[in-house]
Amino acid sequence: MTFRDRLLATLRAIQPILDVRGVLVAGSEVPNLLEADAAATLVVSQDVDLAIPIAVHEEVKARLDQITRLVPSPDEPSVWIPRPEAAELIEVNFIGIDPAIVEPFDTYEKQDHRLPLMVFGPLSLLAAGSVIEIDGLRIPLPQPAGLALEKLVSDRTGEKGDRDLLVVAALFAAMAPSDFDQLERAYIGLSVELRHQARSNLSILSLLDARPGMPDPRPGRSVVDALFRRLETR
Amino acid sequence: MTLAARVKAVHARARVRQWEYRQRNLAHGAWARFRAALTHASEAYAIDDATATALISEGFTADDRGRGLEPPRTIVWITADRATHLVDARPVALRLDAELLGARCLALVPFP
Repeated sequence: MTFRDRLLATLRAIQPILDVRGVLVAGSEVPNLLEADAAATLVVSQDVDLAIPIAVHEEVKARLDQITRLVPSPDEPSVWIPRPEAAELIEVNFIGIDPAIVEPFDTYEKQDHRLPLMVFGPLSLLAAGSVIEIDGLRIPLPQPAGLALEKLVSDRTGEKGDRDLLVVAALFAAMAPSDFDQLERAYIGLSVELRHQARSNLSILSLLDARPGMPDPRPGRSVVDALFRRLETR
Repeated sequence: MTLAARVKAVHARARVRQWEYRQRNLAHGAWARFRAALTHASEAYAIDDATATALISEGFTADDRGRGLEPPRTIVWITADRATHLVDARPVALRLDAELLGARCLALVPFP
């Protein structure tokens, strides 16, 4: 079974949640899904993030009973793990979006006995993008510009940080010129500190090496250079 | 790790980042400026002091974004054509590793 099969099977298992307005697949699986026919050749992580606007939290909770092949992790109920008989699936991380916050420091825990959420400030940079359809499966994705900027301003440390930046490299490869314009506009609206963070992570991305099984950032260095020049002047 | 612990960790990292941002200002952003210069380079060559001096006297541009490091790095921007005529220059990959960071003088070729 390919990783693509596992990813799509997992998304099919949570289709009722994906159908809630405003819910987005986020994180490192987005570049996989943006590939032609969601080829999912860029295996960056073995889980999938589901971004839940807090405005639809209750609606999402009301549909959790329809999810039968995954269950909340006993350790962390915002992470749903495959049932033993559905071992081909991957984990699903429920995370929260609150449009009232952007700064990482404002990240908070939305407590809930059924579905608690980590509400990350930078996730509010995400905006709804295309809904891709594969064999009847509808997958709502964020616009790549917002996701790339969210990755660039989020705090990154160590190996996980590098992997997240390689996701940005994969997003850049899929972005059109208008997406870069959109990223620049969103960047202008950030605080000085977050703009610095974005540029800092961009320069780190340009100096990352290739890693097995991950997007290769080196062919996209000229794209990073061009974007960096644009952001430097802002 | 519980959600509460993760929130605490995120807040701690954010505080560290704020501190680092202030330090960046105090240090005039030495690392950020050095990385920024490297970001604009399509090729890099480790060169010696004499070559760096010669390139600057040829009219190629010196870049002070390596001067804030200790020891200071000398950066000279050259053309791709000039790079093909460098003598005793060692191509180095543009990644933050010992080879690149160990070079005291760098000739960089910008993206076209």
